[in-house]
Amino acid sequence: MLRKQHFQKLADIVGEDYFSAEGYMTHLYSHDIAALPGIVNDVLNPHAEAIAQPTTSEVVSNLLKYCKENNIQVVPRGHGTSGYGGALPTKGGLVVEMTRMNEIYNIDKGSMTIEVGAGIIWGKLLELLEDEGLSAAAYPSSAPSSTVGGWIAAGGSGIGSTKYGGIREQVVELEVVLPDGEIIRTSQSEDSVFNEGKTKPFFGGDDSFYWESEESSAPNKESTSLFVDSNGTLGIITKVVMKVIPLRKIKPLTISFPNKEQTMGAMQAILRITQPFYLHFITDEFFGMLKEVGKAPDVAGEWLVLCALEGTDEENDEVAGKIAEAMAMYHGTVESDEIGHHEWDERFYPMRIKRLGPSLAPSEVYVPLERMVDFIDHCYKHFKGERMAMEGAVNHRNEVAVLTWFLDDERRRIPFLFGWYRSLDVINIGIKNGGRAYSIGMWNVAHSRKFYGKEDYTKMAKLKQRTDSKNYLNSHKVFPGPLYLSTRIGLLIMFAAAFVVPIVIMFAWWLAPSVVAAYVPWVVVNDIASFLLWFIVGLGVGFVVQEFANLIPISVVLSIGLPFLRLGRKIFH
Amino acid sequence: MTKPYEPLKIEGLDIEPTVCARCGFCTFVCPAYLDTLWDSQSPRGKLYQLRDLIKNKKKIPADFAARIFNCTLCGACQEICQTNIPLLRFWQLTREEIGNLEEWPEIVNYIDTALQETQNIMEMDQDDRTLWTDMVDDLVEKRTGIKAEVAYFAGCNISFKGTLAHLGENTIKVMDAAGVDFTILGSEEFCCGNPYFVAGGFDKARELAMHNLAALKELGVKTVVFNCPGCHRAFAEEYPHLLGKDSVEGLEFLPFSEFTLRLLKEGKIKFTKNYPHTVAWHDPCELGRHQNIYNPAREVLNAIPGLKLREMKHARNKARCCGGGGLLKGTNPMMSVRISGRRVEEAEKTGAEFIASECPSCTMSFNDGIEHKNSKMKFKDLSQIVVEALGL
Ligand SMILES: Cc1cc2nc3c(=O)[nH]c(=O)nc-3n(C[C@H](O)[C@H](O)[C@H](O)COP(=O)(O)OP(=O)(O)OC[C@H]3O[C@@H](n4cnc5c(N)ncnc54)[C@H](O)[C@@H]3O)c2cc1C
Ligand code: SF4
Ligand code: SF4
Repeated sequence: MLRKQHFQKLADIVGEDYFSAEGYMTHLYSHDIAALPGIVNDVLNPHAEAIAQPTTSEVVSNLLKYCKENNIQVVPRGHGTSGYGGALPTKGGLVVEMTRMNEIYNIDKGSMTIEVGAGIIWGKLLELLEDEGLSAAAYPSSAPSSTVGGWIAAGGSGIGSTKYGGIREQVVELEVVLPDGEIIRTSQSEDSVFNEGKTKPFFGGDDSFYWESEESSAPNKESTSLFVDSNGTLGIITKVVMKVIPLRKIKPLTISFPNKEQTMGAMQAILRITQPFYLHFITDEFFGMLKEVGKAPDVAGEWLVLCALEGTDEENDEVAGKIAEAMAMYHGTVESDEIGHHEWDERFYPMRIKRLGPSLAPSEVYVPLERMVDFIDHCYKHFKGERMAMEGAVNHRNEVAVLTWFLDDERRRIPFLFGWYRSLDVINIGIKNGGRAYSIGMWNVAHSRKFYGKEDYTKMAKLKQRTDSKNYLNSHKVFPGPLYLSTRIGLLIMFAAAFVVPIVIMFAWWLAPSVVAAYVPWVVVNDIASFLLWFIVGLGVGFVVQEFANLIPISVVLSIGLPFLRLGRKIFH
Repeated sequence: MTKPYEPLKIEGLDIEPTVCARCGFCTFVCPAYLDTLWDSQSPRGKLYQLRDLIKNKKKIPADFAARIFNCTLCGACQEICQTNIPLLRFWQLTREEIGNLEEWPEIVNYIDTALQETQNIMEMDQDDRTLWTDMVDDLVEKRTGIKAEVAYFAGCNISFKGTLAHLGENTIKVMDAAGVDFTILGSEEFCCGNPYFVAGGFDKARELAMHNLAALKELGVKTVVFNCPGCHRAFAEEYPHLLGKDSVEGLEFLPFSEFTLRLLKEGKIKFTKNYPHTVAWHDPCELGRHQNIYNPAREVLNAIPGLKLREMKHARNKARCCGGGGLLKGTNPMMSVRISGRRVEEAEKTGAEFIASECPSCTMSFNDGIEHKNSKMKFKDLSQIVVEALGL
């Protein structure tokens, strides 16, 4: 809980203009793209108490140091475009929004790397790189609004990933402010960061904005990669050194197919011919929904594959010719250039269909390409009667990053609540079909250990323990944290119990008076005084229950709740 | 008394804040957001706040109403929107709701009073409508209120602001050089109603619109020419919306660029002189994104010998706003100037000598922005370039 003196001090550290604790503002920084069902929102109660927009790494360091000392929860935020709950301030506190750290510090055409502020928007970066004849090897389809640091922290694959890999493969080195305020370069050896702690920090963090720089040693891949995907739990990424590629021509091909078997077969065939820049598909049902919103191209088949080639015109034409030849076997139709370009331009618009909901329940999971047909069949069977759009993009490991969208309506509170199970089930079905979770954030903490692997997870946990034993930096994310019920829900539980206890006693006397009289004759409600007494006892019970609930990790709540959600959805759908 | 959010509800747009995906694509194109980098100024942030207010049937609070007016109505958010929300209309109707709550900013109330009393935004006497013609007196002397197929509609800014009068003069000179038989409405020209459309005072614009259309029809006008995209959009888009399509039947509305291009194609004017200047073209929002008119100005400029046309990084449908729209100059003049300054910086990167556009509001904004940035660039309206290139 932030107090008055905290607000002033935080504003002093970050600068008055870059700090806000106004109610309307904090409200705007308390969500990500996912619409939470009312009750989930009530229970988790994401509520930023203040926002800081730091401009330098030193300011970030001083913010973290101050917050740690004063036990203020901190949640890093890029531009809030993820939907895995990683940026939700579920325990209140300070949201540190990074979009003002948006500079390009260095472009090194020799090593083909750049150094940028973690808060730079991909879209802006791509524009600036274009002026230099360069491009990013991979960028998310949220590029027009998401930050470089946000994607590194959330992890994943995107446009360009079929050829060049996901964001993990692009990051060369990071500057990170650890939870204790220490600024490190991940070029330090993994041991020094994750096991022992660095002996001589770049900047230990103090309140006088003192900065002492030091030559960095050669990049250490492992230490860097442990911060990728870590959802802002291990530190705040402030600067990023990443790979870039020369700007080359893109030739987008749109190929349509009659069914999933041909689509998946054709995608594998394309990958035997070349590793395209981007290989992506949408299902016929997704196509149908796009048609409803007037965004579907006029094509022969309803399963669409977008295959974007990158190279010189001659190279692209040659490969395109080979692909066109191979597609005949899969009853594929290579659509016109115009449609190809239309689909390429639409690569940033996976949520066009939201209008049909007007809400979307999303889910994302990696599934091996060769298991996709089984996965799709499994989903269709499991989600019979649901309107589900599915798309997927292949990464460099021939895994498909599958994104599913269920049409829903958040205004219908009960079905919307129960419908939540679908997002969790898609991941489970993906995993059953040889896949893995896409990103952890908050909702997928149950998959943390498996996602990071035991060894990395242990290293990460050690660093967390060493630098943030009280878990003040982005708690509940990556490392399972207990539920933190809002005061409102806590009181609700207490008062519900307060009424339930005397009523149960009265009921017991009415149902089995002899039993109660024989064993607990003193448990009785027969006048106002005794009602009040047991009401107070009930309050106490409620208090214990809600305290106990506060100890249960969210992952456990989700696992316990999942079957109930499934059942509820069947009843209320 | 209207019901809460009735303007949005009538057009079925009260659902749009829920349709919003919160993807934030609209943020980094929004001049108001880019000015502050706070989500409270972004379309996404405003929609999120409205979603809760609409859901909980709560009124728009005064401070939020003021923020809604921190917007140039440039339409960049609509252009990029992930879920195709008709944001321009949405903002207009939200402003109407604010008007219904009597929370319009002071400047809007001032303009409202001025329009009710004087039929122009300057609170000037309508008899002074032709002040702008001073320098071309001889060319328009016998043309006020005469019957003709072509009319020039100057609009309030050009009519009353001395610094903008040259736009009108230029158009008259071009018409004269091309031998066009034209008319002007003089004191019968009322404000086009654009400030009302922008502020969401649609009903109040009704009388102005009816008057202007009647005045034009009475003179047998078929083609109306505008230097002001705001006036042009009022006639071409808002009047049919407000009064029905029939109300504008038989009339065509042409921005200066399109009219000039027609004269060129018909061989009525011809560029022969060398005009050795580089020009960065700025698409005015109300012609470009609002009405999808991008090419005529470029075609005209490309027809001028010696002129080199440079495109800015954000051009055509991606053009950034000059800061002059949506009444922002009145509601938040400092923000308006800073926005304009940013666009000037972008124009500077093209290495061009002039920033050019066709719009009185852009003219004012860019002149402010150039001063604010201490830029060496000069702003020229398209009409000025055309007149200079024709040697008129
Ligand atoms: C239309 C659309 C398309 C998308 N396409 C893709 C896609 O192709 N691939 C993909 O993987 N995802 C995609 N996403 C999801 C999302 O955009 C990405 O995860 C994105 O990169 C998040 O960036 P952000 O700046 O919005 O971060 P946020 O959502 O603000 O934060 C994400 C996580 O990172 C943490 N974080 C943010 N900045 C920092 C920092 N500087 N240091 C430490 N931690 C930080 C936050 O605490 C949070 O846990 C898409 C989303 C949308 C809306
Ligand atoms: S119309 Fe322009 S200024 Fe207004 S919200 Fe949209 S992008 Fe921002
Ligand atoms: S671009 Fe459209 S969908 Fe995305 S946040 Fe803005 S208004 Fe909402």
